[in-house]
Amino acid sequence: MSNLSVLLNGKIGNLFLNFEHHFKNDGITILYGPNGSGKTTIFSALGGFINNLETRILFNGNELHNVDKYPPNKRPFGIMFQNPILFEHLSVEENLDFVIKRNQLNTQNKSLISKEYLINKLELNSLLKRSPENLSGGEKLRVVLARTILKHPNYLLLDEPMSDLDIKYKAKLLVFLKDFNKKFKIPIIYITHSIEEISQIGDQIVLIKNGKKIDSGSVSNIFNRRSFVDLTGKFESSSILEGIVSRYDKNLHITTLDLNGQKLVVPGLPGKLNDIVRVRIRSRDILISSSRIKTQITENELQGLISSIEIEKNSAFSELVIELKNFKNNRKKQKLRARITTYNLKNKQLLIHDNVFIYVSSVSIDRQAYQSK
Amino acid sequence: MDIYQHLSSDFTAILITLKLAIVTCFLLALIGTPLAYFLAFKSKKTKPFIETIVTLPLVLPPTVIGFYLIIIFSPETALGKIFIILTGEQLIFSFYGLVMASIIYSLPFWVQPLQASFEKIGRDTIRTSYSLGASPLDTFFNVIIPLCKRGFFTSLIISFAHTLGEFGIVLMVGGGIHGKTKVIAISIYDHVEQLSFGNAHILAGGMLILSFIILLTLFYFNKRTVVRVK
Repeated sequence: MSNLSVLLNGKIGNLFLNFEHHFKNDGITILYGPNGSGKTTIFSALGGFINNLETRILFNGNELHNVDKYPPNKRPFGIMFQNPILFEHLSVEENLDFVIKRNQLNTQNKSLISKEYLINKLELNSLLKRSPENLSGGEKLRVVLARTILKHPNYLLLDEPMSDLDIKYKAKLLVFLKDFNKKFKIPIIYITHSIEEISQIGDQIVLIKNGKKIDSGSVSNIFNRRSFVDLTGKFESSSILEGIVSRYDKNLHITTLDLNGQKLVVPGLPGKLNDIVRVRIRSRDILISSSRIKTQITENELQGLISSIEIEKNSAFSELVIELKNFKNNRKKQKLRARITTYNLKNKQLLIHDNVFIYVSSVSIDRQAYQSK
Repeated sequence: MDIYQHLSSDFTAILITLKLAIVTCFLLALIGTPLAYFLAFKSKKTKPFIETIVTLPLVLPPTVIGFYLIIIFSPETALGKIFIILTGEQLIFSFYGLVMASIIYSLPFWVQPLQASFEKIGRDTIRTSYSLGASPLDTFFNVIIPLCKRGFFTSLIISFAHTLGEFGIVLMVGGGIHGKTKVIAISIYDHVEQLSFGNAHILAGGMLILSFIILLTLFYFNKRTVVRVK
C-alpha cells in the first residue's frame, strides 16, 4: 500500500505556504479552499515543478523531493492539470499510446487497467482517430483523463477536472471516478470548488486557506464543522447524512434510506441494497416545525432535537443544529444543519432542546455518485 | 573579360554562397536551438540581457560587427592563434571566419521565430510530457520538435535566405577573395563597379527570384506563422 506525506514551506508569489498533510492511501481526498490558497501549488510541488520551496515529500519511504533522484518524469503521480493539454501532433489514440509506451514498467506489478477498458468506459471509441485540435472541451477532458490513468500512477491528482463540463456529463464522469477508485484501489487527490462534487465523490477532505491546512477529516464530519462553513459561506451550508439503502423502487426511481430507524427518500439509486451511502442536504432546503404537519408537503419527515441555535448578527438568518432521533441506537448520532429566518424562529418560539419535525423535499437532496449495474 | 569567363567565376561564388548558407544553418541549428529553448523556458533574470545580445546584429550596421570581428579574428588574438595552430590558416579572410560571422549575423533570425514557437507551446505542454513519464530529451525530440516544426521551418528558411544576402560583414571579414570568400552579393558589387551590368543582372535577378521563391514557400506552407523580427 502506498503512503504519501507532504510538507511544503516557503513563499511563492504572494502566498506563504505552510502545508503539511499525510494523505490516505485509499479513497478520494478532496483539496478544498478559496482561489489562490495554494491547492494547485501542492500539485506542482508533487509533480516536481517547484524548486524554490522547502519541500518534503515522502512516498513509501522514498524522498521524492530529491529532484535529482526523482525528476518530474520519474514520479509516481498521474497529474491532470487545470487546463489539460493533449499533444496536437498526435491523434487521440497516439496520445494514449504515448503514455503506455513510457510506463510499461509501472504496469507490471499492478492490476492492469487496459486501454480498452478506458476507451469503453469513457466513450472514446469514436474519437481515437481524430486530432485533438477539433475535440470539444468535454471530449478533450475524457481523453486526458484516460491518458493520465494509463500511466498507472500510485496517486491520481486531478485539478478541477470537471469545471468545463455540462451537468449531465459531469454526473457520468463522477460515477466513473468513484467506480474506478474502488475497483483499482488507486487513491485520488481531487481539487474542486464544487460542494456537489465533494458530496458526491469525496471520502476525505483537506481544507486549505492562505497556504495553510486549516482542517481535515472525513467529508461527513467536515461538513458540520465551523471551519468548512467558514470557507463555503453560509449560503452553501449543508449537512451530510449517512443511511443504509433499504428499498429501491425501480418504477419510480427512488431509494429509501434507513437513517437509524428514520426513513429518507432520495431520487435515483445511490448504492446497492444494504450499502451505507451519503446524501447531502442544504441547510436552506430544510423546513422545521415544532408540531407534525398533517398534510403531506414532502416525502420526507424526520424527527430531531435542536442542539444549538445561532442567531446571526446583522442578518435575517439563524442557523440551527438538529440532532436526528436515533430509533435504533446502533449508530452514532447524526446532525443536520438548518438555516431559517430569525423571524420564523421567533414566530415558532423554537428553543434549544425542543423536539422538532423536519421536512425536506427529495428533489433537493444530493446523493453520492454510484454506478447502477 | 568576356561574359562567359565572368559566369564561371560567378558559378564559384554561387557555390560558396550556398555552402556558406548550408553550413551556417546547420551550425545555427546546433547553437541557436538550445539558446531559443533557454530563452523561452529557462532564463528569467538573464533573459532581457541575452535577448539584447542576440538581437544586436539586427540593429547594428554590418560594418560595426565586421570591424569587431576583424579585431577578434586577427592572428594576434587567442582565437586567431588557436585557429592557426589547428588549421595552419588565418581565421580572418578564411571560409570558417565567414561562417562564424554569418552565425553571429543570422543568429536572431534563427532564435526569434523558434523562441516564439517554443513560448507558444508553453511550459504546461512540457510539464504534461514530463509527468507522463517522458524524459527531457524524449520530450524535446518527440513533443517539442514535432509541435514546433513550423517554427523550425521558419527559422531555417529565413536564416538561409538572410545568409544568402549578406554583404557588409562578409566583405569585411572575408575580404571577397575569389574562390574562397567571395559570395554572390560581393560578385554583384564587383560587377556593378566594373560596369558589367549584364553579369550583375544575371546574379541580381537570380537572387531576387530565389529569395522570392524561398519566402513564398515559407508563407505558403506557414500561413499561420508570423515572422517576428524585432
